[in-house]
Amino acid sequence: MTTATAAPRRGAWPGWKNLPREARDTLFLLGVIAWTVLPHVSHLPPWCTALTAAVLLWRTRLALTGGALPGRWVLVAVLTVAAVLTFWSFRTLLGKEPGVTMAVALMALKTLELRARRDAFVVFFLGFFLILTHFLYSQSLAVAVAMLVSVWGLLTALVLAHLPVGQPSLRQASGLAARTALLGAPLMALMFVLFPRVGPLWGVPHDSAGKTGLSNSMRMGSVAEVAQDDSIALRIRFDGPPPAPDALYFRGPVLTRFDGVEWQPLPPALQRPGDLRVAGPALHYEMTLEPLRLPVLPLLEATAAAPQIEGWRVFGLTDLQWLVNRPVTERLRFEAEAHVAFKHGPTARNADMEEELMLPPSFNPRTLAWAAAVRRDPVYATASGRMLAQMLLQHIRTQGFSYTLAPGEYGRNAVDEFWLDRREGFCEHFAAAFVVVMRALHVPARVVTGYQGTDPLPVDGYHVVRQSSAHAWAEYWEPGTGWVRADPTAAIAPDRINRGSRLAPPQGLVAGALGTMNPELLANLRQGWEAMNNRWNQWVLNYSRGQQLQVMKNLGFDTPSWEDMALLLIGSLSMLALAGAAWAWWDRHRVDPWVRQRLALHRALQSLGIPAAAADSPRALAARVRGRFGAAGELLANQLDALERQRYGRGAITKPDATLTQAVKSCARQIAAALPRRGVQAADT
Amino acid sequence: MLHPAGRARTRFRVWLAARAPRSDTLLLTQRNVYILPTRAGLLFGLTLLVLLLASINYQLNLGYVLTFLLAGSGVVSMHLTHATLRGLTLHIKPPAPVFAGAAAGLDVVLTSPGTARFGIGIKVANEPEYMLSWIDVPALGQAPAQVSFVPAQRGLHDLPTLSVETRFPFGLFRTWAVWRPAIQLLVYPQPESPAAPLPATRLVGGGPSASRTTDSGEVEGVRAYRRGDPMKLIAWRSAAKTLEAGGELVSRDTSASAQRELWLDWQACGGLAPEARLSRLTSWLLAAHRAGIAHGLRLPGREWAPSVGDAHRRECLRALAMWA
Repeated sequence: MTTATAAPRRGAWPGWKNLPREARDTLFLLGVIAWTVLPHVSHLPPWCTALTAAVLLWRTRLALTGGALPGRWVLVAVLTVAAVLTFWSFRTLLGKEPGVTMAVALMALKTLELRARRDAFVVFFLGFFLILTHFLYSQSLAVAVAMLVSVWGLLTALVLAHLPVGQPSLRQASGLAARTALLGAPLMALMFVLFPRVGPLWGVPHDSAGKTGLSNSMRMGSVAEVAQDDSIALRIRFDGPPPAPDALYFRGPVLTRFDGVEWQPLPPALQRPGDLRVAGPALHYEMTLEPLRLPVLPLLEATAAAPQIEGWRVFGLTDLQWLVNRPVTERLRFEAEAHVAFKHGPTARNADMEEELMLPPSFNPRTLAWAAAVRRDPVYATASGRMLAQMLLQHIRTQGFSYTLAPGEYGRNAVDEFWLDRREGFCEHFAAAFVVVMRALHVPARVVTGYQGTDPLPVDGYHVVRQSSAHAWAEYWEPGTGWVRADPTAAIAPDRINRGSRLAPPQGLVAGALGTMNPELLANLRQGWEAMNNRWNQWVLNYSRGQQLQVMKNLGFDTPSWEDMALLLIGSLSMLALAGAAWAWWDRHRVDPWVRQRLALHRALQSLGIPAAAADSPRALAARVRGRFGAAGELLANQLDALERQRYGRGAITKPDATLTQAVKSCARQIAAALPRRGVQAADT
Repeated sequence: MLHPAGRARTRFRVWLAARAPRSDTLLLTQRNVYILPTRAGLLFGLTLLVLLLASINYQLNLGYVLTFLLAGSGVVSMHLTHATLRGLTLHIKPPAPVFAGAAAGLDVVLTSPGTARFGIGIKVANEPEYMLSWIDVPALGQAPAQVSFVPAQRGLHDLPTLSVETRFPFGLFRTWAVWRPAIQLLVYPQPESPAAPLPATRLVGGGPSASRTTDSGEVEGVRAYRRGDPMKLIAWRSAAKTLEAGGELVSRDTSASAQRELWLDWQACGGLAPEARLSRLTSWLLAAHRAGIAHGLRLPGREWAPSVGDAHRRECLRALAMWA
């Protein structure tokens, strides 16, 4: 049986070249799919990664052994299980994370339906979609390069599916795919530059759960573990020396209202005058803000005047927060001024500081009791807010608290659990507990969120603030001073604040090894990479409406609008379409290069008086040349023989050899030049 | 009673047929190569739309890059798909006659004037897609393709309309050309199966036959091999001996059996329908030719004198094919 001999023995790898065509193409496609899914592994639930890996391995085995694919019911069953697990993981099937999870599972399962090469279109289109989902997480240069490889792979697989004859090599197919994509690149560039950038068409679902980053509310203890999101939140460049790391607080939402579970900002109507009093010189800075998807500008504390941003309305709240009129969904660049030394808030106790003192009665009873006990202590009975704050920070420093990004989930009385029992958590826990205890001690206090610190070294003059630098700290009110910042996290993890270093998650093996061997090399590599990434950001990712209108202005439009842009795009595309049609028309009249060579050579031979017709082979012509000129024509005849070999010999080439054409012509010219002299010699003898 | 859409389609076919005159060599140009997106192409367009919407909504500049890269590649692939057929020359070789009901193979040669062309399929126009036979044409070279179809009826027929198509490189577009070769195909009647026994032979010329008959009943007479003798006429055993002796091949001398003659007569076919009679005559003709018996053919109003040989066979089969 042929199948018995063709099918490789289980476990024995027959070699890439010896694989049957069908198996090789399937393996290639599976490889491309694995490569496309791989970067998602860090944000997929473990079951999805395991399922995908298992399915892909199973499909690989089936491809190698030529086994039968599972029936439709098996797939439906597995898909149902995947949907249930997705719901179990995220409590919903909508949104970015569940969507990506389902897409990955679907992609893996679809490979089990991969029967005929030509039926694989769903896999390709799902693949393109998966590639896009990576950009939701990161649009960095590295991701772009990895995904370019994916696109190339998918296009190669598409080409393979449409080469039904024989066993075309991967090299050939990938070359054809690359050629097509390269030919399409100018079109891509044109559309990228001219396609009008409009705002989101409908509300973008907001996903921030379980990740470091800024958000408009806070639920302490609801997240068991935060993933370090190393993506960049903003870049800042100072005119002059940067302030000390422990002064780099970027103020985001101020969370005052606490219902026992969730912290939320006060509605603007309830806010009282901010009364900012600055001291010292102003520090001028330029900030590039990544899309935060919140209507918030996390400006450096304390920025007194609203920055000017074209197309946006910026307004300040009295709690020193800066807002914009819609969620930031594009990269913004603007300039502003900050005063690092400042005081703010009312100096005299207002009657209505109730919100800042409010504690829901049925929550955290043990912490309230703990605070009451402190107040009963004669030392603290009449202590000021500052003294109490010092005491609490000292308590945090000395009473076995520890900082961790994976504290586990907390229950209903989260502050009780944190403050008295478990004593481990990250900035949210420390800030929330601090504020609750302060309020229990009758000191007005609130939580402030934002970013703290930058990367230690600037890149291209820009200091980088990452999403992992997202921070929560506290403010309490002191009569005569106003609001005073207190950072309880600094009490337990001072490194994080003083040196501006983020708490690094465990390093990967390679980075770890590199780091221990040569920390400087690692730092240099990282810096170079960041600098390249910065360029990439400025030139490619930063290309938004503002830059687009600038390009239009440079093209000569005085007051460009997006309608102009659309018209220009449509016009250019039409011109390109016409050019394509013209090429097709011209292509019809193209002459076979062999024919062109033949015509050129025949002209050269005819000038020597040798008759040459279309049906004459180069060898026949060579014989004529030898017959006519003898030894003098030997060189030319040899060239013609060489042409015969090139055309019809064993090593026949596909395109005419231009150097040979030239050689024949120059030989012919030499003979022609020698002709009259020969004629004279002949007459002499 | 045609469905309106079906009628429109028929009219379109007629118009198309009138547009492309029959010819044995066809140069594919912009005028006779058509292109439309495939279902996959439409699906691809839909995918692009989804990608674009996602890019707009999430303000992903890299998403725009991906969308436009794919769109650009798609547009280029349209041109490449069209260019795969454009410029090719198709040529059909004269087909050998076939029997009705048996597959006829049409030999088509594709010539590329320039670059290599990949993934070209060729089939009879109204056959289903799995009948496509696939070929690649090398750069500046030729590639043979064979299209088979089963002619239904005897007679001298125009070849069916052929279609050449390709979806290379991405399958987003299908480009095709229809071709009506001018050359005609002779289709003999389908031989009756199972074949009826041959009618009785008649001895002609009287007197005892010159041939001797061996015990096994074989005809003994041999003669020197003549060009055109069928293989089965060669007397291999005697030939082996003569060849060993330095002689030539020898054939069985059928002149003896030619003394017996066989008339294949329209009237002898009993009460069969005309086409069935032709089938029976065809199968008799083949049997008689195989046996090497001289046979004549008698159709109403015409007859062909008894004879043997390929020329006679072809003449009789042609008469049966063309009989009206």
